[in-house]
Amino acid sequence: MAAPLELSCWGGGWGLPSVHSESLVVMAYAKFSGAPLKVNVIDNTWRGSRGDVPILTTEDNIVSQPAKILNFLRKQKYNADYELSAKQGADTLAYIALIEEKLLPAVLHTFWVESDNYLTVTKPWFASRIPFPLSLILPGRMSKGALNRILLTRGEPPLYHLREVEAQIYRDAKECLNLLSNRLGKSQFFFGDTPSTLDAYVFGFLAPLYKVRFPKVQLQEHLKQLSNLCRFCDDILNSYFRLSLGGISPAGQEMVDANLQKLTQLVNKESNLIEKMDDNLRQSPQLPPRKLPTLKLTPAEEESNSLQRLSP
Amino acid sequence: MSLVAEAFVSQIAAAEPWPENATLYQQLKGEQILLSDNAASLAVQAFLQMCNLPIKVVCRANAEYMSPSGKVPFIHVGNQVVSELGPIVQFVKAKGHSLSDGLDEVQKAEMKAYMELVNNMLLTAELYLQWCDEATVGEITHARYGSPYPWPLNHILAYQKQWEVKRKMKAIGWGNKTLDQVLEDVDQCCQALSQRLGTQPYFFNKQPTELDALVFGHLYTILTTQLTNDELSEKVKNYSNLLAFCRRIEQHYFEDRGKVGV
Repeated sequence: MAAPLELSCWGGGWGLPSVHSESLVVMAYAKFSGAPLKVNVIDNTWRGSRGDVPILTTEDNIVSQPAKILNFLRKQKYNADYELSAKQGADTLAYIALIEEKLLPAVLHTFWVESDNYLTVTKPWFASRIPFPLSLILPGRMSKGALNRILLTRGEPPLYHLREVEAQIYRDAKECLNLLSNRLGKSQFFFGDTPSTLDAYVFGFLAPLYKVRFPKVQLQEHLKQLSNLCRFCDDILNSYFRLSLGGISPAGQEMVDANLQKLTQLVNKESNLIEKMDDNLRQSPQLPPRKLPTLKLTPAEEESNSLQRLSP
Repeated sequence: MSLVAEAFVSQIAAAEPWPENATLYQQLKGEQILLSDNAASLAVQAFLQMCNLPIKVVCRANAEYMSPSGKVPFIHVGNQVVSELGPIVQFVKAKGHSLSDGLDEVQKAEMKAYMELVNNMLLTAELYLQWCDEATVGEITHARYGSPYPWPLNHILAYQKQWEVKRKMKAIGWGNKTLDQVLEDVDQCCQALSQRLGTQPYFFNKQPTELDALVFGHLYTILTTQLTNDELSEKVKNYSNLLAFCRRIEQHYFEDRGKVGV
């Protein structure tokens, strides 16, 4: 199909092509199935909509929501599940339901509801990519939407209190991560050697949790202990997203350059310091060695020494 | 419940054996109970039958309000009250009865995933059909839900519940779905279940597990409940191995023991 497919989605950071789970799912699926996707990153100009992201635009269609976009791509013959058996297809649906029910509430909570994380990481990141004055409103609305979803699906009416629900959703999320890790085992992808829809979904939900730097990292710590899931994310990032990383996140590249510069400066300063010390030592060789033991004395001992001298 | 409270409860649960007078509470069978609640209740009954634990079913109009989590069914065992299939399975496990002990880790993960699939798709579709489809709401749901109460309470309660369910549908993204899309989702879910079941008697070959109980509860209720149109049950009837599965469990666990299924 030669029709140009354009995807508008949230941009990337921390080594990821996108920080938004659903956008990442679609991007990963497009890479796995070989669909030629032109990615339009939402930035803080007024161009493009930012409502129901990710959105796929072709010549005559506009498709939103990851499930529908994936269906559309499959109809266009970009199918990553071609080699799966019927039972594996059924398993895919079941595991996606598991992720949405058990893992998604905790991921939403970590990103949007936990106040430390939201105020220091999520809100500034999204606000910088939304034009003023929407940047004042939209992140707050997304946060409320996330909280709403968590309370309505997990809260117990009529109380709808967050504290009771928090412990439960994190426990469910950790169990879900353990189950995914058990299912993945030692294989490279979930169904053999080629990635499929399930791999796209798992990658989309796990990668932001894995890579984004948060102050409150309860779930992230748990994920990092499951080494096969971390290896899974890293593998996909390296094999499918490495080439486009240079193009998509120039900010990341600049950050690396800046860090390198700082490091070089520090090293230079240190070497200068060492040279100066060296010179000093060479220029004054007549320092009496007797002075050195007194330098080792603690103040208390010095005091007692002086006292002893005073007493007759 | 907090984690500490839950650990405490399981310890108490483990201490006593299953009593003879355990009861299961649900809404009134003839006039009040709705499709989704009936499915949940049947799933729990099937699970307890599979574990060989005796249970008496008691119908009360205010069962929803008696339940600790607001959802039916709930069981009253000894001096503890546990609601919903998930916690009931754990409670029964603490007492030493479990159907899924023989499964390995990967199979347990699969079982949990399929249970979530049923909850995510089938249960949500049932709720959508009952509360968001105007025809069903008008003819069946409103009348049934408020039937034990006098006017105007019956209308108020029904509208309140409808508003709550619609909010939830909107939050999870089902608010804009049409009935056809929902039925398509049900079809997809049934197809997945049918492919997983294949030609085996139960989902994990020889022994039934809580997944079998849950699937039976939902499918049997869908097949035997009279709604405004038959589209939902038609979707299930397309899959013959699912029909055989329901028939098998009904025969084995409900008719043989002299109890009526629904």
